[in-house]
Amino acid sequence: MSSMPTDPDPRLPLPVFVQRLWSITGRLSLLFVGSTAILLLVAAGYLYWGLQQSLDRGDRALVRGKLQVMQAILREENDQAGMLENEIEHEAAANELLKYYLRVLDARGRVLIETTGMSGFLPVLVFPEPAPFPTTSPLIVERTISTDRSYLLLSAEVAASPNGQERRILQIALNVEHNYVLLAEYRWKLLTVLCAGLIFAAVAGVLLTRTGLRPLRAIAQSTQRISAHNLAERLNPADWPGELHELAAAFNAMLDRLQDSFDRLTEFSADIAHALRNPINNLRGEAEVALGQVRSLADYQQTLGSSLEEYERLARMIDGLLFIARTDNPAATIEHSPLTARAELDAVQDFYEALASEKKVAVHCEGEARLTGDPMLLRRAVSNLLANALKHTPPGGKIVLAARNLADGSAEIRVNDNGPGIAAEHLPRIFDRFYQVSKSRDQTSLGAGLGLAIVQSIMRLHKGQATVSSELDRGTTVNLTFPPQAEPSSRESSDQS
Amino acid sequence: MHILVVEDEMKTADYLKKGLSESGFVVDVARHGEDGLHLAMTEYYDLIVLDVQLPGRDGWSILQSLRRAGRQAPVLFLTASDTVADRVKGLDLGADDYLVKPFAFSELLARVHSILRRGPARQPEKVCILDLELDLPQHRATRAGQRLDLTPKEFSLLSLLARRKNEVLSRTLIAELVWEMNFDSDTNVVDVAVRRLRSKIDDPFPQKLIRTVRGVGYVLDAH
Repeated sequence: MSSMPTDPDPRLPLPVFVQRLWSITGRLSLLFVGSTAILLLVAAGYLYWGLQQSLDRGDRALVRGKLQVMQAILREENDQAGMLENEIEHEAAANELLKYYLRVLDARGRVLIETTGMSGFLPVLVFPEPAPFPTTSPLIVERTISTDRSYLLLSAEVAASPNGQERRILQIALNVEHNYVLLAEYRWKLLTVLCAGLIFAAVAGVLLTRTGLRPLRAIAQSTQRISAHNLAERLNPADWPGELHELAAAFNAMLDRLQDSFDRLTEFSADIAHALRNPINNLRGEAEVALGQVRSLADYQQTLGSSLEEYERLARMIDGLLFIARTDNPAATIEHSPLTARAELDAVQDFYEALASEKKVAVHCEGEARLTGDPMLLRRAVSNLLANALKHTPPGGKIVLAARNLADGSAEIRVNDNGPGIAAEHLPRIFDRFYQVSKSRDQTSLGAGLGLAIVQSIMRLHKGQATVSSELDRGTTVNLTFPPQAEPSSRESSDQS
Repeated sequence: MHILVVEDEMKTADYLKKGLSESGFVVDVARHGEDGLHLAMTEYYDLIVLDVQLPGRDGWSILQSLRRAGRQAPVLFLTASDTVADRVKGLDLGADDYLVKPFAFSELLARVHSILRRGPARQPEKVCILDLELDLPQHRATRAGQRLDLTPKEFSLLSLLARRKNEVLSRTLIAELVWEMNFDSDTNVVDVAVRRLRSKIDDPFPQKLIRTVRGVGYVLDAH
């Protein structure tokens, strides 16, 4: 356990750490709660602001209304004092809910009449400067007199006679404290709704994500069922929501590849055992028979010589398998040197000349290509291909080894014969180890079915490709494609130096 | 010539001793790493054949100790693992050559000869075996006074067999030295080439020079 990196690296950026820590449910719920909170806050803020505005507008309208009423009264001559008294002392005092206060001063600032008790808390000087006559929309100011009392205050110069000669100063105050009480209550209500909404959002978020993620758990359960013994099992994308189709399809594709590799591996083990069985059987049988009775020296020599041939076959097979196994390792690398393909083709052709002319098959080379690679591996690949072609081309046939560079700088080496060709069903597996087109192939061939697999491995080492195409009765062509040279410029400069 | 074989596998050690003795070498065998090092330090050997995996002390460590002590006897490694890293390690430590198991005894013999020859490695200009005469610089071959009409590769093959007369050469070695094909071929190319050579140098004459050693390779007999 001590080797486990339990402590997070302190230099690790925080987001990665958070990402690793939080489950999808947690993250989605958090997002859900967050967006709900923003939404609720905006909505509550707007409602609150709206209420405040309309309350304020209403109060100001009331104050202005009062001003008009008072102007009308003061312009009246009949029973002006009585009406004023009624309006100021009774009306204002009677309205408990909307507490407003009125005061009338003469032009020199002496109080003529005011709402009872008004001077106790709303002295004349609290009011702003009176708006000069004639006033259309006098300024209304809000003043907080003491901690629990706020008033809307209006002060205006008005006419006190029909002809407008006499002036009075009118002071109107409206207690708006009740608005604040109302708004405070409203705030509490909004806060309650906000909290309830957030709790609801959190719970709903967790529940919804859980439900939404249920298919993922289903995938996990399905994958748990899959093992080496039932690789054929597949997930059915139709059972799942659209977003997961891609995942299911990718998963199934992975299973396809795994199953394919598994099948090949299983077949490969069986093939190895089979390929070993033949030479061992020969060795054992020959030795047993040879020891069965006393024989001549020549007989013993014959038996031992035959054994040696079988051993050589076994050793060759082991070498081939080891070669392929090593190159299958992705870390395997080769030395890349710049080389001209034609020289290698000529060398291989030279090597096979005797065999080809004995089989009466014409081999010739054409073209030229520059590529980087390991010359000995390239020879080995071409040699295996040519050996294969010679094996299957009838007397009088023709084999061409061709090289060329393609426009993109890659190189292609082609081995083409006009032999009997290979049936299409064999082509996809022709590069597999031990794969033999005809199961009852002649036992005289020294090969164990590894030649083309080795070609494939060599091409993999060169990051290239081996492809085969064939037409029955027309012949077979194998193409080896090498990727473009890595640094042609540096190669040229080293050529010059 | 004195050869030390350090090899713990009984059967291998036995056939190496038998085969090398029959090829005219005096052979000592050590089956343990420490014994091997002790022998190598106290006796004089022309060549040491060293297995990598040994009980007591592995081949690399033996080689290291030898070189550190100033012992310059050439060393031929035998190994069951042919990863490049292993080969490089062996050669870096000062080994002269290596062979990967399974190997043909003829291959081992050829390498032993080649290491021991490495000193005065001057090529003769003329090789004469019985009535066969090879003029190496001129690429000319005659037998019993008759000029042999050989292709360049056939001449290379013949001169290889002649220069290493009485030595059985494996098909792999022949392919490597004549055609520079450093790998096993699944075909009988070398057999065909030898057959063609024989048709020119042996078939017209009563005494045959090239002999097939079944399952091993070919040898040019000089007697």
